[in-house]
Amino acid sequence: MITQDLVQVFDMLSEPAARMATAPMLALAVGVALYLLCEVIDLLRTARPIVFLGSIALSIFYELRILQADSAPGAVFDGTFIADGQTALWGILFLVGTLLVWAYSVGYYRENLPFKAEYDALILCTPVGMMLMVGANDLIVFFVGLELLSMPLYALAAFRRAKIESVEAGLKYFLLGSFSSALFLYGAALLYANGGTLALDALVAESNLATTGVALVAASLFFKVSVFPFHLWVPDVYQGSPTPITALMATGAKAGAFSFLIVRLTPLLPPAAAQTVAVIALVTMALGNLGALVQRDLKRMLAYSGIAHAGTLLLVVAAGVALGDTSGGEQAAWYYMGAYLFTATGAFGLISLLEADGARFTNLDALRGLAHSRPGIAAALSLFMLSLGGIPATGGFLGKWFVFAELVRADMIGVAVLGALFTVVALGYYLRVIAYLWMEPPPEGAALSNTQRPLTAGLATVFCCLGVLAMGLLPALFLDRMN
Amino acid sequence: MADTLFYILAAGTLACGMGVVTARMPLFSVLSLLGSLFCLSAIYLLSGFQFLAATQLLVYAGAIMVLFLFVIMLLNLGDEAELQGHLGFSLSGKKGLIAGATALSLGLVGVVGAGYSTPFVANPAYERGVDDLNALATVLFSRYALPFEAASLLLLATMIGVITLAKRQRTTDAGAHPQSAPPSTDGETAA
Repeated sequence: MITQDLVQVFDMLSEPAARMATAPMLALAVGVALYLLCEVIDLLRTARPIVFLGSIALSIFYELRILQADSAPGAVFDGTFIADGQTALWGILFLVGTLLVWAYSVGYYRENLPFKAEYDALILCTPVGMMLMVGANDLIVFFVGLELLSMPLYALAAFRRAKIESVEAGLKYFLLGSFSSALFLYGAALLYANGGTLALDALVAESNLATTGVALVAASLFFKVSVFPFHLWVPDVYQGSPTPITALMATGAKAGAFSFLIVRLTPLLPPAAAQTVAVIALVTMALGNLGALVQRDLKRMLAYSGIAHAGTLLLVVAAGVALGDTSGGEQAAWYYMGAYLFTATGAFGLISLLEADGARFTNLDALRGLAHSRPGIAAALSLFMLSLGGIPATGGFLGKWFVFAELVRADMIGVAVLGALFTVVALGYYLRVIAYLWMEPPPEGAALSNTQRPLTAGLATVFCCLGVLAMGLLPALFLDRMN
Repeated sequence: MADTLFYILAAGTLACGMGVVTARMPLFSVLSLLGSLFCLSAIYLLSGFQFLAATQLLVYAGAIMVLFLFVIMLLNLGDEAELQGHLGFSLSGKKGLIAGATALSLGLVGVVGAGYSTPFVANPAYERGVDDLNALATVLFSRYALPFEAASLLLLATMIGVITLAKRQRTTDAGAHPQSAPPSTDGETAA
């Protein structure tokens, strides 16, 4: 009996499909372990960046292999985890985001950071969590992924612990995050009581109990992606956290939760929920955009803008629920999130560079006349603002285009019109940043200390700019991969 | 008989839970929590989950509660005033009421969600005794092998996070006394 079970277990674990599906995560996990080992052994200290980049590269390679395989692994581990082209595309997005955040961190902290190795190891853990989330077909797998993403972020948010804002951000994020985890567990328990299983495809919402469970799970996800009415923590946490970590929260964490919400949870929601989701999305967009209009702090402004973007993405969920078919919505969401990832990471990264250069406050005034002293940074930041605002020829425009096209396909014209109106409001504060950059005279005698900027940050900025432009001008490059 | 016992234990769990939030002294809160966990594990036992009951007692009532007590004794958080001094805020009065009301409404969500219609039926696929240790291990290492392994990475990440946040900061200046150096090296180049 026992030997039989053992044989069965080994068969399942040594399946080629299971190995192929878990390889990207395994590469990262091994990378974390090696990275920590390199920190301990003096001889290997210089090898740390190689280990970091190597494990990310290896992981991307494995994701590409899943993407190009003739037969994707599909559902493995008794159907609890799914690895196919869809999850591989999301996985590559997570990995690129993590890489960019790391590159900006090098410039942000320079050399004098205690616990630098721990910082990098924590960053390297987060994409594993996101991959688990997008591939999860079982609530337990998803929950472990969610925690694997959140735990490092709690610690990273409070990483500059000599700064009261950073500690406050970490504590707020931790307390509210634990609350949302508890909500998720409560919802999962109700779903289990209803169906007697945690497998997602068996969780058809047919009873009150199941509906309540799905609602609680959705509420916990709404917290992670900062959607009304769970968005109140965002400005404080984004402002207080170290800026590269803010970028990771705004892009990576959001992408992980949204990928699950759209790919896995949307097919489970009853069509009647479409109106509710659409209303929540529109309220979120309104609150985010109106909140951003009055902000003078750049990080707070981008935080509110992030709330607005989460609202826009939620419209995809509404459309998918109404249509009862998410194939188009998945593409739209990936494209939107990809464009947002390049843009927001780039914008937060540039702010982190300015901070490291000595701009003590991330106030709008710090940008006054930057085009004269730092034309490169000013030009890149302007491009990112245009993309966030959804100006044609940038990735942000096409992302919005796909989202609204999906809404029209779902026959939700009124919602699409309202959403488009909100994005016009958003242009107000994005263009204000550009005006400050190019049209204001530089303040007298406030020259920034011209320190050497590390190569990685420059490369990351160039990469972000290229990503934004490629997604705006050459959509076929990405769309071909999705079909 | 079993039904009566269940209601007694459930009432005990709830009463002890109330005790956790209403006790004036943190020590009594911890002891109430202990009582609540004991009642809960007895309920597990009653439902035939011996392993779960034992784990609950060993891990929660044993290890974690002892840690709680250690922290309370070490920091001398004997009474509420002391605790407020450490936390900088109080959770009594209005705030406690709000927190309690939130928890209660969350509980009601479940009860209302359950409605009167939904019967709690066990899934026939899971009829095989879950507490069968053999079956438990098989499920853990086959169906749930992935989250099981991922949990180890999660624990590692949590450990790293806790250490970086709690450990006394190493200083980058050579020669500076580690204890007396101000913990200001947070990467901000002072303008």
